[in-house]
Amino acid sequence: MTRGALRAATGLDATAGGEEQAVAALHSEEGNMTGLHEISHRRDTELKTAVPKGEPILELRGLQKNYGAVQALKPASITFLSGEIHAIVGENGAGKSTLIKLLTGVIPRTAGEVRWCGEPVRLASPNEAIARGINAVHQEVVLCPHLSVAANMFLGDEMKRNGLMRKRAMTGAAQGVLDDLGFNLPADATLGTLTIGQQQLVATARAAMRGTRFLIFDEPTAYLTRQESTQLFRLIRRLQNEGVTIVYISHRLEEVFELADRVSVLRDGTHVGTRLIGETNEAELIALMINRTIEQIYHKEHFPFGETIVETRGLTGPGFSDVSLSVRSGEIVGLYGLIGAGRSEFALGLYGRHPISAGEVYWQGKKVEIGNERNAMALGIALAPESRRDQGLCLNLPIGLNINLPVFRKLTRGLTINRAEEAANADRQIRDLQIKTPSRRVLASAMSGGNQQKIVIGKWLSHGAKLFIFDEPTVGVDVGTKAEIYRLFARLLEQGAGIILISSYLPEVYELADRLHVFRQGRLVASHDYRAASHEEVLAQAINA
Amino acid sequence: MSVETVEGSAAPTPKRGVSILFGLTLLGLLLALWLALGLATNAFWTPNNISNLLRQGAMTAILAVGQTFVIITAGIDLSVGAVVGFTSVIVAWLLAAGVPLWLAVVATLLIGVLIGVFHAFGIVRMGLPPFIITLATLTSLRGIGLLITNGSTISITNEAFTNFSRADFLGIPSLFWMVIVVAIPAYVFLHLSRFGRYLFAVGSNREAARLSGVNVDRTIYLAYILSSTCAAFVGLLLASRIGIGNATQAEGWELQAIASSVIGGTSLFGAVGSVHGPLLGAFILATINNGANLLNVNSFWQRIITGLLIIVIVYFDQLRRRGSR
Ligand SMILES: Nc1ncnc2c1ncn2[C@@H]1O[C@H](COP(=O)(O)OP(=O)(O)OP(=O)(O)O)[C@@H](O)[C@H]1O
Ligand SMILES: [Mg+2]
Repeated sequence: MTRGALRAATGLDATAGGEEQAVAALHSEEGNMTGLHEISHRRDTELKTAVPKGEPILELRGLQKNYGAVQALKPASITFLSGEIHAIVGENGAGKSTLIKLLTGVIPRTAGEVRWCGEPVRLASPNEAIARGINAVHQEVVLCPHLSVAANMFLGDEMKRNGLMRKRAMTGAAQGVLDDLGFNLPADATLGTLTIGQQQLVATARAAMRGTRFLIFDEPTAYLTRQESTQLFRLIRRLQNEGVTIVYISHRLEEVFELADRVSVLRDGTHVGTRLIGETNEAELIALMINRTIEQIYHKEHFPFGETIVETRGLTGPGFSDVSLSVRSGEIVGLYGLIGAGRSEFALGLYGRHPISAGEVYWQGKKVEIGNERNAMALGIALAPESRRDQGLCLNLPIGLNINLPVFRKLTRGLTINRAEEAANADRQIRDLQIKTPSRRVLASAMSGGNQQKIVIGKWLSHGAKLFIFDEPTVGVDVGTKAEIYRLFARLLEQGAGIILISSYLPEVYELADRLHVFRQGRLVASHDYRAASHEEVLAQAINA
Repeated sequence: MSVETVEGSAAPTPKRGVSILFGLTLLGLLLALWLALGLATNAFWTPNNISNLLRQGAMTAILAVGQTFVIITAGIDLSVGAVVGFTSVIVAWLLAAGVPLWLAVVATLLIGVLIGVFHAFGIVRMGLPPFIITLATLTSLRGIGLLITNGSTISITNEAFTNFSRADFLGIPSLFWMVIVVAIPAYVFLHLSRFGRYLFAVGSNREAARLSGVNVDRTIYLAYILSSTCAAFVGLLLASRIGIGNATQAEGWELQAIASSVIGGTSLFGAVGSVHGPLLGAFILATINNGANLLNVNSFWQRIITGLLIIVIVYFDQLRRRGSR
């Protein structure tokens, strides 16, 4: 967790990093016993003094942010109206998260002015933003994995009696909020044991229950399934009815059209326009975002299927049981299910990361014991894992090192690495995937979310695998790049590879998979050929409705 | 000061420039210290004192390089001082028992390897935190050494062995040559081979490294073995220098090694470090001690100065790192 992230999470202007500090936050902050009711009460009283609906509540005037020589946000002037849902869209690296971090006091601005309720404000720290009622659910979950869900929700704002924390009361209150929001989550669970999607919901609940007047969501649905997204949308509308102004960032335009009142577009750090949602359409937004048009996002080519690359028979391991499926050369096999349905666990089991307790794996017809990740790679399996932060990237190392990590063996000549080849391979992936960076030496942590995702994919492309497992490959990736990634799938298939595509985004698996398997509670419950079942059918099978 | 200093080739980018800048700053600091001491006291720039300084710094420098491998994996090796003392006993004991010199040296280094294996075993298989397992060996190795020597020291009569540390080669003390003997392969290992990259990857994100096919366990073994072997090597040098084996020698050298590494830009959070950094750090520390002695500064002050220096250098290094924020 970065220091900034932690600051954002705890709302503390702290100087030392680490979890101890977050824990310290649990014990600091004097007095004021704030229960749930007090919290909602606080919101009510604040709203009485609030800006009338439809009037400007937050205005940016020439707001600007440079990271060294990188102009992440060029002078932008955007007005947010009280009580609206305002969507922000733009390509990866367009500056959306930067804008949000400026508004929440996580990073200092380079220049410009922010007016809150008509008054210029500094927003120098997360504390100040929170005190004014500006809250955000950040793109990357910035909570403390070792604390409970309830402790995370109350972090920095604990209920206390005589200086002691009222743990049971907090757990109860947190559970109340979660149930009230319709999130099916236990408040006493350790946060780290939840899936990323669930953690995102906790972060949302956390932001929702604070005295919030202005709430920003940075790609909240990236890791959510449709069902969970629906819950979230209900929550957002409810907050809007209570008078909260919402900023909603997403790469999924259909969500923008479903939710938003107005939409602003950023391109390369420049604010290129704001539209009323009724007066625009997807094509116009895409054209504004990328300055060109895309005819077709889901690029599907059918290739003749070749030999069977891998086949599992009754494969059982932690989180999945009795999974039998096969992947042929030239085929995309899609795995759909709710979060926690066991798809990623199956992938990790097949890849040798988790132990297999029963069942067999056949690789090109021969029975194999994979056992560990290195054996899987040696056979020709590549896995681009679900969580780029936890599993995919070494964030504080250069992009080049991340891309080359799986192939250093191949880049070694004698004792040392061939540095020309090392550089060439990194640069090739950066170019092919259009990773937006001045150099391969930049740290992965300085990349925007979508560009980080491209690194996770890029590192596997030169390994020469036969079977690619892509777990949520387009999380946080913009439309243009999504189309590129799908085209890349076609290229891999053409070269004779097979693909397992895991996605919580139904249209993606639905449009791309030659064979679609539905997972529920660790089991494979249904299988369909390309477009053989309707969306509704697939969904019903996933949630057992 | 991290891998970006060495990764890739040609065109310098801002990142690379800044890292080199930090290395140059350290070098500048070292030279400034030498200049200042040269002006402040006549005794500094004498061949005798310079040799002495190089000898003093050499041993910390080698320890610091080994320590850096471990710190890059986000670990720590608190045992190195104890290993130095312990292996000085071992080599003295072997020589006293009439074991041929070459065999005694090889056997002592092998003991270093085994200690590293033990550390990694504790971390990888038993799941112990590096701090704990190396702290445990710190105290127990001193104990075993004292048992072997019965609390006293073993003198070394082998002339060839004791003469080594006093010898010069091309006018430079042989102990300093040993730094070069260690530093060159260390540089190749850390900055040019894939294993070096793996150390950084493991220190940055173990799970990501594992899923990318890095043998994480083996990488950890490698780091701790290298650190302990460096320490055993220093044990040999120390035994040669003082002519005895004594389990209580090298008290607190682990902290010197860690301090040198940190002054040299290594991050205790892992994934940031180099070979040249800790070398410079070690010689900066040695210079401060040497200068303080020459200037008759109370040795208590030396410790305080060292502490302040660590704070100042690491603070500025962090400012630099955060600079782009
Ligand atoms: N800490 C940093 N240091 C240097 N550059 C940064 C840093 N953080 C972000 N950037 C750069 O700023 C630009 C904008 O990044 P930002 O995260 O705002 O993009 P985004 O619109 O949120 O993209 P995405 O859709 O991929 O999340 C990018 O070019 C990014 O590389
Ligand atoms: Mg973003």
